[in-house]
Amino acid sequence: MPTSSSSQPAALRFVDVHKSFGAVRALSGVSFTVAKGEAHACVGENGAGKSTLLKILAGTVRPDQGGIEVDGARVDHASPREAVAGGIGMVFQERLAFPNLSVTANIFAGREITRPGGRLDEPAMRARTERLLSDLHVPISPDVRMEHVSAAHAQLVQVARALAFDCRILVLDEPTTSLTDAEVDHLFHVLGTLKARGVTLLFVSHRLPEVFRLCDRITVLRDGGYVATFEAAATSPDAIVRAMVGREPPARVNRPPVQAGTAPALEVSNLSRLPWFQDVSFAVRPGEIVGLFGLVGSGRTEVLETIFGTARASAGTLAVNGKTVAASSARDAMRAGLALVPEDRQRLGLHFDMPLSDNLMLPRAVKTGVRLIDRGAEAGLARAEVVSLAIKTPSIAVRPGALSGGNQQKVVAGRWLATSPTVLLLDEPTKGVDVGAKFEIHNIIRRRAAEGLACLVVSSDLPEVLALADRILVMREGRLRGEIDGAQATEESVMRLAAHETES
Amino acid sequence: MTSAWRSREASTVAILAAELLFFVWYLWPESGHHTFWNQDNLLLILKYSSIYGIAAIGAAIVIISGGIDLAPGAIIALTTVVIGYLFVNAGWPLAASAAVGLLVGVGAGLISSWLIVRVGLPPFIATLGVMGIWRGTAFIVTEARFFDLSAKLPRNWHVGGLSIDWLGPIVMIGLAVVFQILMTRYQWGRSVFAVGGNETAALFSGIPVSRIKTSAYVLAGLLASVSGVVLAVVQGQGKADLAGGYELDIIASAVVGGAALAGGRGSVAGAVLGALIFGVLRNGLTQIPGATFYDRLIVGVAVIVIVVMDQVLTKKST
Repeated sequence: MPTSSSSQPAALRFVDVHKSFGAVRALSGVSFTVAKGEAHACVGENGAGKSTLLKILAGTVRPDQGGIEVDGARVDHASPREAVAGGIGMVFQERLAFPNLSVTANIFAGREITRPGGRLDEPAMRARTERLLSDLHVPISPDVRMEHVSAAHAQLVQVARALAFDCRILVLDEPTTSLTDAEVDHLFHVLGTLKARGVTLLFVSHRLPEVFRLCDRITVLRDGGYVATFEAAATSPDAIVRAMVGREPPARVNRPPVQAGTAPALEVSNLSRLPWFQDVSFAVRPGEIVGLFGLVGSGRTEVLETIFGTARASAGTLAVNGKTVAASSARDAMRAGLALVPEDRQRLGLHFDMPLSDNLMLPRAVKTGVRLIDRGAEAGLARAEVVSLAIKTPSIAVRPGALSGGNQQKVVAGRWLATSPTVLLLDEPTKGVDVGAKFEIHNIIRRRAAEGLACLVVSSDLPEVLALADRILVMREGRLRGEIDGAQATEESVMRLAAHETES
Repeated sequence: MTSAWRSREASTVAILAAELLFFVWYLWPESGHHTFWNQDNLLLILKYSSIYGIAAIGAAIVIISGGIDLAPGAIIALTTVVIGYLFVNAGWPLAASAAVGLLVGVGAGLISSWLIVRVGLPPFIATLGVMGIWRGTAFIVTEARFFDLSAKLPRNWHVGGLSIDWLGPIVMIGLAVVFQILMTRYQWGRSVFAVGGNETAALFSGIPVSRIKTSAYVLAGLLASVSGVVLAVVQGQGKADLAGGYELDIIASAVVGGAALAGGRGSVAGAVLGALIFGVLRNGLTQIPGATFYDRLIVGVAVIVIVVMDQVLTKKST
């Protein structure tokens, strides 16, 4: 049942917070209370307003109206400095690290321990870091530069950073995105200890099982507005999802099986790229959707990069439609009929300074090697692509930044579909998009597969792989550990292969 | 971290040593006096390198903070002009003239950082503008003449038994030591590295990013002005076209000394060593008949070779 108050006094209260960015209303009158010492989740689809709320809390964005109360007193965080001084610790989703500095320097950045006279007290900071890292069981040296620290460890360094300053309110924004299950367990253990010590937790996540595991109460936001706050013990994930989206999550669609005798569109034989993966062999037939699942560090993304030629294999071969491909660049791979929808659309997927039409047509132009661009024809093709993928955009002249995450992702997919590939490789095709857009993207993939496209989907989102794939290949520690039929696969059967005996 | 900087500085020292050895060997006289390896010539190298070297300390700080400063050459020129005007035309004492000269750099740094931090211009554009304004001001003040300080300065000037030629080297080494310590052992320096490494993360860490950037440009301006004071006193001139093109040599010194234009990496000591590398190269080349014409070309190639070598070595070591 939704509740709006708690018997405990408030550690943190959002009071009628409004914020608009230009014409976009990010928050419209959000009010809720986080009780002292509780673990409170804030959930919602992308665009629900969670990140804006956190930015206001962190002091990087100021509300148009309304505000925040900490321990009953109105605060006005004009800068991150004030938020930090006010006892609010933040663990962000993005890697907010200093790659050029040591782990110790990262943890103490902006709040260094100094000796009288202002000199940095390196031994004290190093000793404190060592203690924090060992508390969190992060097996890295305090002296190593952050650029050499893995994504998972970097996340834990951020937690250590917040812990270094005994914050009263710890805010975590999707802290488990790049962590393995064992690391999540570990993080949650630490968070449990903190909670027991009286630290208030505000936990923002897409992952409902984690939310239910950790949190006492759950606040749902939708489209910049407050929906409700639920007692975790008295509600269910389904109820939360309904509150988030107002509709049921997408289910598995079983598709007619691809004929076993069909010649494979993509055939990978004994592919290795040490030290990331070795001896990987599989085939994808035309019309088939194959899922490649593995935890972070299993080598799944590296396999995809190697197939697409952006990294060199140390051994093994690769054939498209029976023809051996020696792809040593993305350009070669494209000409051979491969297309890769990359994971990180901010960095790799889109040109944010170009209009939508150019974004959609660029890979195609590169592939066909046209010298003189026929703008009229391109505009026609781009419009057709916008219609066929149902990209919600006012025109093909807008820049991708103006679109929602889900529509941006469709543009990324569309630009590669426009190259008429034989094999479509997708890396985390729905990462960070909302449930509705996810459903549409799944349908686009299914439709193209039905037209004969061979699809290889790499995803760390297990329900997605289960909903989408005809066959699921599972990787662990750089090797292919097994293959499961998509219709029969369960979360347990896939996870058993993906995680078996890897964690200590 | 510290050990990595040290090894980077060690390789800069090695390049400098190799260069010195080369010129000592190549210019070895058949008989008598060595024209390269003698006290007077080495002081000459130090004297001229210090003009770049002092400003390169500031350039390194700005580059480490993730910015770039094109103004130091113009600041040096305007500083000499202001000192010349006050000392020669207005009859001020030298110390007072020099003190006002230093304000030239502080002012330039304040304008640059205001344009970058408040107006939001890219550092390249902001400092390109300031460079033009300051150089132009120098020409307007002098009206294509120059101020002759040397006539009013003591001949064969010695202070405490040392020739005035030692002024630049001593100031350069002193400032290098001070700023090396500030950059590696103090919170301010750590923050400069943090801002250059990841500005967003710095902001979220509560580091006063705007203040740190402002401090970097103001110090770079101030240090360029110190170069200007040294040049005015040692050269005895205040002239609008002095230090023409120095901005690139100054940036090159910092880069050869390990500063990465992407920000977050570099060292003040390295920048000074970089300035010495170029000082030795210039001086040595003038002594090889016909090589003077190759001066700019060799300096250009040297920048590329040294930075590429550094990248290759860094990749291997990780």
